[in-house]
Amino acid sequence: MTSSETFHVVSTELVVGSFSVSGLSFVFCLFLHLGWLKKDDWKPLFDHVAHFTLAFGLIATPFAILSGLSSAPGDGLGSPLLVNKMLLSMTGMGFAIGVFVSRFRLGKKVWQTGKSTVVHGIAGIAACESMLLTASIGGTFTRGESLLDAFQLPYDDVLLFPLAISGTALILGVGMLVLGWLRTSPPSSVH
Amino acid sequence: MFLLGSTYGAAEPGGNGDATRDMQCGGACHGDAALNETSTASLQFSSSETVYAGIPTTLTLTATNLSLSSTGVVGFFLLTDTTGHSDTPRDAGWEVLSDSNGGAVNYLEQTLVNGQTETSVSWVVRAADIGSTQFYAALHHGGSSTPFFGVTPTAFEVSVREVPENLPRLAADFTPQSKRILDVPTEVLLQTEHTDAVLIQWKADGGALMSAEVNSTGDGTWSAQLPAALQPTTLQWRAVLQGEGPEQTTPWFTLSAEEAGWEVDELAVYFQAVALLFLLAGTILALQSRFMLQDDASKYDQTSSLLEGVSPEHMTPNPDSNEDSDLAPLPEGGLPDGWNEDQWRWYGHDYVAGKYGGGPE
Repeated sequence: MTSSETFHVVSTELVVGSFSVSGLSFVFCLFLHLGWLKKDDWKPLFDHVAHFTLAFGLIATPFAILSGLSSAPGDGLGSPLLVNKMLLSMTGMGFAIGVFVSRFRLGKKVWQTGKSTVVHGIAGIAACESMLLTASIGGTFTRGESLLDAFQLPYDDVLLFPLAISGTALILGVGMLVLGWLRTSPPSSVH
Repeated sequence: MFLLGSTYGAAEPGGNGDATRDMQCGGACHGDAALNETSTASLQFSSSETVYAGIPTTLTLTATNLSLSSTGVVGFFLLTDTTGHSDTPRDAGWEVLSDSNGGAVNYLEQTLVNGQTETSVSWVVRAADIGSTQFYAALHHGGSSTPFFGVTPTAFEVSVREVPENLPRLAADFTPQSKRILDVPTEVLLQTEHTDAVLIQWKADGGALMSAEVNSTGDGTWSAQLPAALQPTTLQWRAVLQGEGPEQTTPWFTLSAEEAGWEVDELAVYFQAVALLFLLAGTILALQSRFMLQDDASKYDQTSSLLEGVSPEHMTPNPDSNEDSDLAPLPEGGLPDGWNEDQWRWYGHDYVAGKYGGGPE
């Protein structure tokens, strides 16, 4: 039998590991497709690695979030660190889902233009950074220190929006997701 | 595959926290006869000889011959039967006012150092009614990959008597404070009956016995100030009550210091987290789809493919397609007021023909 604390450690290691590889691969993708690195045969390699590890991290993330909630001391979100962990992990998931769905719907065309390359690469890297920050907060919460302490990040400050703003953001987000999905549908045979 | 292969169990090798729990502890494996082993520990109860209804008394449980797991965590239950349900003191009409860990619950956990085989825990309890109650104690702890369980073999019987007339005592509804905030002095408030004078004594962990100055606010209410705690430690205090009847000393009440709590609107946090997820995912997909639409629109422009293979010297301008010849002649004084060149290119002929804006005067 595995305790929720142990399960949380295992799942977060999977998330952090896979997102780290994914983030590094997105950096290479960005350099390759923007022409800063002249290695055309590397393009499919890093494209596949970036998206496969991103998908794996996405699968592991809900396990990490749920086990984190059940292993946190006390009831609910009793610390600003836990709140920031929740917000950052969901932010990372948002970036990752956007990147993954774009790649799934549009295929390699996401690297076709300069604009789409920049958006895709930066979003992939942002997903990785969000997850690494989440893990750093976890380290600060359990051990009181983290590798990113050198940057003196404001982990104790929580930026919490009123419900109305969150609701508006949610509606906007769902709307854009639906619109984006429909726009990326393949053209019909009539078309 | 690793995630799917993992078992998400309820085992808590690091303990499950102090709480009000029945002996089965919510179906934990410690309480499952098919999974557990019997602990070698011996459990022994003790209490004051005389227990009065409505007056707090201390029940102390001493555990010996403990053999724990490497974590050293052990949990003790104060129970009123061993059926596994409805077995807490509250179910038998007893109230847990304080416990030795600084709470007011029937299940307490301790973490013992390596090699420690003996420990004790205590509860301050109060019965409302006269009668006899049988108390049991149980313990849960780990071992060599097996959950261990133990229970007192016989009941510890506590007889509750009617309280004598004029006995100085705490009020029947008095509930001691069990928590306090760090760095803030604590004011202890006591409600008493048949009491003329009160002395409050306190001691920190391993410290000397100290006395606090007590002030009476009338109507049997007394107050005393205990010094602030600088660290999350526990402090114990008791009251010596004097009146017409024999002097009475209350049990030791435990007061634990902790940092001020932090609260947040959890609904707002979860809502914002979900909103961020959808907003970011939607934004990225919408942006990418927009870029693709722009790109798709440009692919219907076949000019470049038509011009492929045609050298520039073979491309001659079409003499009939002189754009300037298609332009309407400008009126004297140049473009009409408010017109720009592009508008004149498209609508200049209408203007000259008087079909647009009244034409030239």
